[in-house]
Amino acid sequence: MRSTKQSVVVAGLAIAGLALGACGGGTGAGTAPGGTAGSTGEEAKTIKLVAAEYSKDHTKAFWDAFAKTYHDKTGYTLEVQVVSWDNIDQQSSTMIQNNQAPDILNLNAYASYAKDGLLYDSDAVLPAVVKDDILDTFVKYGTYQGKFYGFPDLSSARAFFYNKTLFQQAGIAAPPKTWTELEADAKKITALGGGKVGYALPLGPEEAQGEFSMWLFNNGGDWKTDGNWVINSDKNVATLDFLKKLADEKVTQNNPARTNRADAFDLFKSGTAGMVIGFSPLAADLDKDKKVDYAVAPFPSNDGTESKTFGVTDYLMAFKKPGNEKAVKAFYNLYYTPDQVNTFIKAEGFLPVTKSGVAYFSNEKALQVYLNTLPNAKLTPTDDPTWDKVKLAVQQNLGGAMNGSPKATLDGLQRTAESGG
Amino acid sequence: MSDSTTVSPGPAPVAGSGDRRSRMPSRGGRRRRAGRIGQVHPLVALLWLAPALALILGVVLYPAIKLFDASRGEYSITGLRKGDAGWDNYVKVLDHPDLGTVLRNTVVWVVAVVAITIVLSLALAQFLVKSFPGRRFVRWAVIIPWAASLVITSQLFVLLYDYNYGIINHVLLSLHVIGTPIDFLGDDSWTMFSMVVVGVFVSLPFTIFVFIAGLGAIPDDVMEAATVDGASPWQRYWNITLPLMRPALMIATVLNVIYVFNSFPIVYTLNDRNPGYLHDTTITFMYKLAFKSQEHDVGMSAAAGIFNVLLILVVVGIYLKIINWREETSR
Repeated sequence: MRSTKQSVVVAGLAIAGLALGACGGGTGAGTAPGGTAGSTGEEAKTIKLVAAEYSKDHTKAFWDAFAKTYHDKTGYTLEVQVVSWDNIDQQSSTMIQNNQAPDILNLNAYASYAKDGLLYDSDAVLPAVVKDDILDTFVKYGTYQGKFYGFPDLSSARAFFYNKTLFQQAGIAAPPKTWTELEADAKKITALGGGKVGYALPLGPEEAQGEFSMWLFNNGGDWKTDGNWVINSDKNVATLDFLKKLADEKVTQNNPARTNRADAFDLFKSGTAGMVIGFSPLAADLDKDKKVDYAVAPFPSNDGTESKTFGVTDYLMAFKKPGNEKAVKAFYNLYYTPDQVNTFIKAEGFLPVTKSGVAYFSNEKALQVYLNTLPNAKLTPTDDPTWDKVKLAVQQNLGGAMNGSPKATLDGLQRTAESGG
Repeated sequence: MSDSTTVSPGPAPVAGSGDRRSRMPSRGGRRRRAGRIGQVHPLVALLWLAPALALILGVVLYPAIKLFDASRGEYSITGLRKGDAGWDNYVKVLDHPDLGTVLRNTVVWVVAVVAITIVLSLALAQFLVKSFPGRRFVRWAVIIPWAASLVITSQLFVLLYDYNYGIINHVLLSLHVIGTPIDFLGDDSWTMFSMVVVGVFVSLPFTIFVFIAGLGAIPDDVMEAATVDGASPWQRYWNITLPLMRPALMIATVLNVIYVFNSFPIVYTLNDRNPGYLHDTTITFMYKLAFKSQEHDVGMSAAAGIFNVLLILVVVGIYLKIINWREETSR
């Protein structure tokens, strides 16, 4: 009996070991760039879109309706696959490894794909009128080595959100204009007690680069100037020192280094936090809950000069595949018609990417704060493929400065950037 | 593996051999050597084996080969294969500055979860084999953590552990056990403890049921004899129950080690707010290498995956070796 039982264990072990190997098996390989579908060069009648899920309610609904219109107007078929933000990076990477790249991919980065020679540039697939309509800022950040690859689908701009009730209780008359005022206000709110948080500071891995961008742009700093990385510039070190000071003074929530953006938003939505950097979807949530009496203001700059906004845009990039050029061009032609692009942006609660879109949204009062700043918004250096890795390094390492040295943290990031990620 | 000889017992007398049943072309019959009853033509045998072989080749072997292939490739951040990397990916994994931390975490995680699970399960199984009113419902209740998805369970614990709203902190604060909330998931000295608790929670059901089966297999007459001979309950447990439970203990340990070692959702979900690799095990390390870290390198991750397979095989091999050795010396 003993030996049969043992053989069962051994057999089970062997199977488990092999199954373990199988688990990692999704990482197949393909050497040829792009795709090889339709290698005869015939025109593709069906193209595939992999889209990121901005919201459960609207994203799929919009793209399904879009696919129908697209089919009716052009005769091409659009297959839509909506993927959550948590998975899209992994899924797109796996698709490309397996030589099954979609025709159009919606993601928050494009430069690495352009560098790998996988994408069409605007000359091939974007109608000239559409290119002229896209806001100059986004054309600039969507251009890699002189060619425009990163076609924006929508944008967002960050702004300063504050809880009016808490400001009133703490006796603060107006939103802060400088960092000194912000610090003083945060102290007053924290002093209210009851677990109130002056400023909710998310430096966790989810979007540390976003929070830090907003701060460093408003201290006259940047990630990159004139083609050189300046992550550990004196201004940026001073910025991170200031954030560490806020954390050390305990006017932020507990453990900012380990707080993700979603958790910081939750603190603000529950009325616990007095101030946070938010964007239009947060405003939409707050309006729906009607729990917090809030207002939106430009983010204070360190010295009280004009506020700068951190802008974000996501991309709809087109993969080079034999025969799909016409169908892809028809896709962009339709997407950028004001009816389509603005409907999508409005439903998702984001900001326009086109000049006609800015005009279209200009009568939306709630969006005024963002729209005014949008044409001058500063983005992270998304046009540099190195940034795709630096961004990940920032997400994984920036929080470490809260328990260590801001200078050493930024020096490390600078080294990562200079060595090409 | 040295134990592989036990997979095919061969001509040695095994359970059922030599009795009347073996004359029938039953399952035991297929083990006979050539010339005996039950022998079939090799091609026919192959036909019978074909579905299983196809499954093994397609689902196990092919992905394993692809994994190995990926581990030898050089990949761009986009997932595009740029060329062959030779053994570079393996070197990069071994050179990774956080590898030591990750290995230490893995050892702590596996040993702590498995040891605590086994000890608790032994006690709980003892309790659940006694008959008491409502035993059936208690047994059902024990299965629930097993039936629930690991991601859901982990998310549930994230909410329970939360610093601001978590019920655990709320209870501890209300009872004045602590003065300020504990940051179970963000405080480095608590994170591993918090993860181990969840790991034990989800490993208990399976282990308990293995032990219940093991306890059920202990013959009553042995116990009765010991009782008649005047053995105390503790002596009975130590000298009869535990030795007879050895097969169950062995299976539970081996399967739990593999299961806990491979546990991704718990470590990943409870740890997603923590930057770097401070509390990662080799499995989440592998995932982060591919998709979250600044390396963002599928090839390196595949190499780490190969190391993972080797690691678990070696660990379990060593464990079985130790078990065998003890058996041989006790004879």
